[in-house]
Amino acid sequence: MRSLLNFLLRYKSLILFLMMEGVALFMLSSSHNYHQTVASNIARTISGGLTERVEKGRSYFMLKRINRELVSENLMLRQRLETLKKEPATSFTSISDTLRGLSYNYLDAKVVNNSINRQKNFITLNKGRRDGVINGMGVACSEGVLGIVVGVSQNFSVAMSLLNVDFRLSSSIAHNDYFGSLAWDGKNYRYAQLSEIPHHVIVTAGDTIVTSGFSAIFPPGIMVGTLTGDQRKGGDFVTLKVELSPDFKRLTNVYIIGGLHKDEIRILEEEVVNE
Amino acid sequence: MNSILKYSGFFILLILLQLLVFNNIQFSGYVNPYVYVMLIIILPLSMPSWIVLIIAFLAGFIIDAFSGTMGVHTFATVMAGFVRPWIISLNMTHEAADPDTSPSVQNNGLRWFFLFAGMIVLVHHLSLFYVEVFSFTGFFRTLLRVLLSTLFTTFFIVFIDLIRSRR
Repeated sequence: MRSLLNFLLRYKSLILFLMMEGVALFMLSSSHNYHQTVASNIARTISGGLTERVEKGRSYFMLKRINRELVSENLMLRQRLETLKKEPATSFTSISDTLRGLSYNYLDAKVVNNSINRQKNFITLNKGRRDGVINGMGVACSEGVLGIVVGVSQNFSVAMSLLNVDFRLSSSIAHNDYFGSLAWDGKNYRYAQLSEIPHHVIVTAGDTIVTSGFSAIFPPGIMVGTLTGDQRKGGDFVTLKVELSPDFKRLTNVYIIGGLHKDEIRILEEEVVNE
Repeated sequence: MNSILKYSGFFILLILLQLLVFNNIQFSGYVNPYVYVMLIIILPLSMPSWIVLIIAFLAGFIIDAFSGTMGVHTFATVMAGFVRPWIISLNMTHEAADPDTSPSVQNNGLRWFFLFAGMIVLVHHLSLFYVEVFSFTGFFRTLLRVLLSTLFTTFFIVFIDLIRSRR
């Protein structure tokens, strides 16, 4: 007993060191569900409040640019509305179900914290559970796709940024609808890689890349970026370099997009696969 | 007692500085200075290693909690706190000053302090960046990030130390 005590006393630093590194590694390995842990929730409430205040001051100086962006977006939406007016009614169902035909709803949010300098970047938004945000919703701004919500607290939510090496997005080339998987390689925050595009597809620099809508997180046709023309061949597929259209370094106003039919589609697909 | 109070104030100040200023600094994707490591560097040389470890753990944990990187910074700071005694004995030459005061350029000389701080920052950044990536793919790119960031962090720390002792 005495010698054991002596041993512990003698190597207390080493034991403490191993214990603490163990705790750190444990936190690291369970980091995918760390959003649920109490400690980080409290920290988020404090830091969220703090960064929100800083952001408020910062956004004041960007009002001119934000206004310009909103005007141009309004203009685009107006034009789209005009084209919709001309379309004839395509279904015979009565309009008793107001959700019918409506697949996505939008919620506006402000960015309170954002990083681009890590390998795994996240965006914190000022809307949370209280506003109806749940895990798996998409985040986009008027310029394009930004990320997917992975953690929600009472008043804030955290989205995995497109600039995260774990992020995958099903996207397609706008003019021929070939789809592939978009991911970020962790190098330059302006560029991402679109992989799994077959060899025979003809692409040119400047082609638009949009969401495919397959995962029902984002509606199809939301801007992602444009092709730079660089490509890497390997195996049966080519990987294309995509210049991302949103500037991740200056995000303020964003939309949270909820896919209304996401669960329905998933359950149906699982049923069919399991049979 | 007075020095403990002073250190606590500096602790809070440096953590705020890291979270509000340095976390937003980025040059070209390769340089991310983490100056809060200075908290481990300026502890008195004679301080028992287990206290150093606890302070390192606390600092790492707070940074982790507020920047949403659970475990990454904690791992790195505890590692830096653990190797500190060896780095001290490695750097211990005749020019070493009173071990009970906090290391600084004023007490230990610019060359000693720069080397000492640089080595601890290097250990911290090595474990930080490799744990963050969690793979050895792109080994040399990560190494470049480590070396460049170490250089910048060390310069910032020496700079902050000079301001600190000026007062």
